[in-house]
Amino acid sequence: MQIPLVVPCVLSTLRPLVSDVRLVGIKKSFGENAIVKGVDLDVIDGEFLVMVGPSGCGKTTLLRIISGLEQMDEGELFIGGKKMNDVPPRERDVGMVFQSYALYPHMTVRENMAFGLELRKLPRAEIDARVAEAARMLELGPLLERKPKALSGGQRQRVAMGRVIVRRPQLFLFDEPLSNLDTALRVAMRGELARLHRQLGVTMIYVTHDQVEAMTLATRVAVFNQGILQQLGAPLELYHRPCNAFVAQFLGSPSMNLITAKREGDRFVGAGFTLPAVGDASGEVKLGMRPQDLRVGSEGPIRGEIEAVERLGFDGYAFLKTPAGPIAARFEGADVQVGQTVAVMPTGDVLHVFSSDGARALRHPEARRA
Amino acid sequence: MRSPWVALVLLASTLSFAAPPSLKLWHGYRGGEEQAIEQAAKAFTAATGTQVEILAVPYDALSSKLTSAIPHEAGPDVFIFAHERLRQFHRMKIVAPSGPGLEPSKYLKPAVDALELDGKFYGYPLSIKCLALFMRDDRGLTAPTTTDALEAQLTAASNPAKNEFGLAYEAGDFYFHAPILFGFGGQLFDAQGRAQFETPAMEKSLAWVKSLQDRHLMPQEASGALVKTLFNENRTAMVISGPWFTGEIDPGVKYSIHPLPMVSETGLPMAPFLGVEAAFVSSRTTQPEAAEALAKFLAVGDATVMRVITGRQIPAELAAYENEAVAKDTMISAFRAVAERGTATPNTLEMARVWEPMKLALRAVLQGGVSPHDGGPLAGRRYRALNREAPPTTSPVPYVVVLVLGLVALVTWQSRKAKGKSFKQRYPEAGRGLAYVAPAAAGLAVLVVVPFVIGLSLSLFHHEAGEYSFVGLANFTDILTSKGYRITEPLSFYFTLVVTLLWTLANVVLHVSIGLFLAILLKEPLLKLRGVYRVLLIVPWAVPNYITAMMWKGMFHRQFGAINAILGMFGIEPVSWFAQWSTAFAANVITNTWLGFPFMMVVSLGALQSIPTDLYEAAEVDGASKWTQFRRITLPLLRPALLPAIILGSVWTFNMFNIIYLVSGGEPGGGTDILVSEAFRWAFQRNEQYGFAAAYSVLIFFVLFAWSQVTKRLSGEEQA
Repeated sequence: MQIPLVVPCVLSTLRPLVSDVRLVGIKKSFGENAIVKGVDLDVIDGEFLVMVGPSGCGKTTLLRIISGLEQMDEGELFIGGKKMNDVPPRERDVGMVFQSYALYPHMTVRENMAFGLELRKLPRAEIDARVAEAARMLELGPLLERKPKALSGGQRQRVAMGRVIVRRPQLFLFDEPLSNLDTALRVAMRGELARLHRQLGVTMIYVTHDQVEAMTLATRVAVFNQGILQQLGAPLELYHRPCNAFVAQFLGSPSMNLITAKREGDRFVGAGFTLPAVGDASGEVKLGMRPQDLRVGSEGPIRGEIEAVERLGFDGYAFLKTPAGPIAARFEGADVQVGQTVAVMPTGDVLHVFSSDGARALRHPEARRA
Repeated sequence: MRSPWVALVLLASTLSFAAPPSLKLWHGYRGGEEQAIEQAAKAFTAATGTQVEILAVPYDALSSKLTSAIPHEAGPDVFIFAHERLRQFHRMKIVAPSGPGLEPSKYLKPAVDALELDGKFYGYPLSIKCLALFMRDDRGLTAPTTTDALEAQLTAASNPAKNEFGLAYEAGDFYFHAPILFGFGGQLFDAQGRAQFETPAMEKSLAWVKSLQDRHLMPQEASGALVKTLFNENRTAMVISGPWFTGEIDPGVKYSIHPLPMVSETGLPMAPFLGVEAAFVSSRTTQPEAAEALAKFLAVGDATVMRVITGRQIPAELAAYENEAVAKDTMISAFRAVAERGTATPNTLEMARVWEPMKLALRAVLQGGVSPHDGGPLAGRRYRALNREAPPTTSPVPYVVVLVLGLVALVTWQSRKAKGKSFKQRYPEAGRGLAYVAPAAAGLAVLVVVPFVIGLSLSLFHHEAGEYSFVGLANFTDILTSKGYRITEPLSFYFTLVVTLLWTLANVVLHVSIGLFLAILLKEPLLKLRGVYRVLLIVPWAVPNYITAMMWKGMFHRQFGAINAILGMFGIEPVSWFAQWSTAFAANVITNTWLGFPFMMVVSLGALQSIPTDLYEAAEVDGASKWTQFRRITLPLLRPALLPAIILGSVWTFNMFNIIYLVSGGEPGGGTDILVSEAFRWAFQRNEQYGFAAAYSVLIFFVLFAWSQVTKRLSGEEQA
């Protein structure tokens, strides 16, 4: 599906903001390529903000602008209320964990962690104490004298985190830190990160393309696409009340089904299906239904042939080819086979309605309006 | 179908039986001289029916080819060579005395005199070579007959402001200085035939030449190439040179040739050394009469005329000057006049020992490091140092015993390690393994092991005039105790070792720092035309190093060099680069740095590019300044790549013969020589002391071996 350029519709929370990091009208191009196209964003003190989006959406560039490793073309950046546009990275008091970990290969784990502290000319005793504390927190004690090449991926990841923790910066930045780990380790490290955030209570900005990480870790999620902030809010808010078709499809797995329909009286009519109309949208619209809200069965408004089955155990998802387009739907226990022709049935008020270009949400299911 | 082959074989064999006897003739001529000798040989065949097989050997190689081929019956029947080697050839018994065919009265007297040895004549004189005064006709000068007249003309013809001179010649070479020394009444040898340097005439001749140079009447540090250029560009009116110089003069330049003037103070003529080329008959020829006939044929009559007309030789035969065509040739007749005053270069061993000390003294005086008064004594000291007494001959038996015992011990030790198992049991696949390593092993044996063993054994011998005597470790003790000179003198091993270490250290430090600096610049992605710079900076490496060395040598020239010209723009006095140790050493280091930095740059660039950029970003965020990043991230990460390059570079530099030999040439006074160039000089420029030179090489080997042990430890730490 083609995602049109959309006007961002930031759902601001009503909480009074104590903005620790403030981005105002930030733009950045590399040559002819506009990567960040004017981003305004307030990061609340102490929150875990996850910036998520497909690759090339500008999220990493934005993170590097915050760290100071990249210069913005236009806009203003404040950290802790102080304007940072022309402050070099080393004076911004931020800590960054790189996707590659960027551990110094010629230094031991201890030296890697102490490096930033030595540069700040801290007393030796203080350095040793902080390294010991971080090592205990991250269970790196037995590895302190090893060099990075003698560590596993997860251990390197923890050292990279330790290197930031010992410095106690006012802001933690993470650039896809878990993407080089295998699934099991990633799940474990997600837990560690969440615990770390609780323990330290500092502001963290976390970049990922993995919406699962975003949903599980974030206090708030910022969804980016094509250099523009699409929506900012708590994970479930974004999940239940996506402000446009892009956010709706980006969050949730499998992603939301989107089919084109036309309002005809009290019905939505599309290719090969008819659904009872909800809301007051008229004319051509896009209908969104999460696969979790659809059931495979013998009866239902939409029929199609099963092209693939993703069985998770007792239940799973079936992927259908229908006249209206591909549809994913949940099944439970049923004997579903590829090639079968089946029907899908919504499990209640499940319809999201978007404008026909997908740029605006017109309606969300009643039950989820909380 | 075999009949055609059989017929062919039969034909070939009959032909070979029918073939007339042939003679082998070896020479070192090229160009016109080679053509002339071929014509003459054809004429000989036409006259006698005897075929002549001619072989042209490069002149530098001819002597050693003769001395090695003739004793093995593989040499020529007749060969052409200069008379200076006659005594050596005679001692090696490869030359036969001339028969009754030689009539001394038919040749220029100095030419026949040169071929006399212990009352017998050897060979037939062909041509002579000596120095004369070349003058440009367009300067309107008359040939000076005295030095006073010469000086007056030089003063008029020189223009120091425009770097124009009256006279140019290779003043730093004793061959050119000898006539002046003789003109001042100097004698090279005393009554016992020993070389003498500390004479009043020596001082006067040196002072006279120095005064010409100080008055800007002649250029400094003149090489053959510079003399040629100055004469052709009309920046000098006169040149002292030999017959070969006629080939270097541009066709458009009109010139005349005159005898060297008389020294006004003494009334003696400047008598140049005379080189005589002769056709010698090999002592091992199987056809002595025919060979004798060929040698004589080449030396007289039509053959002489051919050599004069085609080969532009100055004939030794008097009758040739009566020939109409020869008489018209002003160059030939001018040289004859010069030659009649000349003295043949002595063909003694003592003569061979004079060159290097005199060269040292001449250059030291001309560069101003030593006064004319001290020039002679300087040469004398160098002469005594170079011609060291042969160490006493000892018996090789103890050494052989030690060697045998050592080998036995080694074999025993090896077989004890085997714990009683036979070779076959320990290495069941040995045959196949040996087959695999055989090609490499053969290469190593020929290229490394054999030369190494020969060099090692040679260091235990003393060589003098073709004869080797076993002296045990005497060469080593002489070197290590610095026998004959103080350890602060350039001839001392320790002095040279310190210079070598300084040289290596200075170069490696400069190569690495400049290479690294440029690599960092080149890595900068914002730099425009990066690829162009990268190629340009590697060019010094791609040019053969001796070419670079010669270019830099020219650039460091006192009067014509680019470097002094640039310094002059800033009002800095011209530097005589090779007159002081510090500047000569600096010139060497600068040249070698030019050659050496690209390698380090390429290595550093590769290593730099392999350092991930996010390490720098992490360090940046960690709080590191650019300098701290370089010191704490770049340098430690470059270490694994740079260390082997530095080790390699240090070994290359330690033995960088070309630069030392071609740029400073060891000047001043051998002070900038390094161990390897010093070893070369002992072997090939100082009385052929091969054993002594080999001992130097063995010591170089030990120094580098020790260094390799140190570096092995260093890189071992790196691995850990």
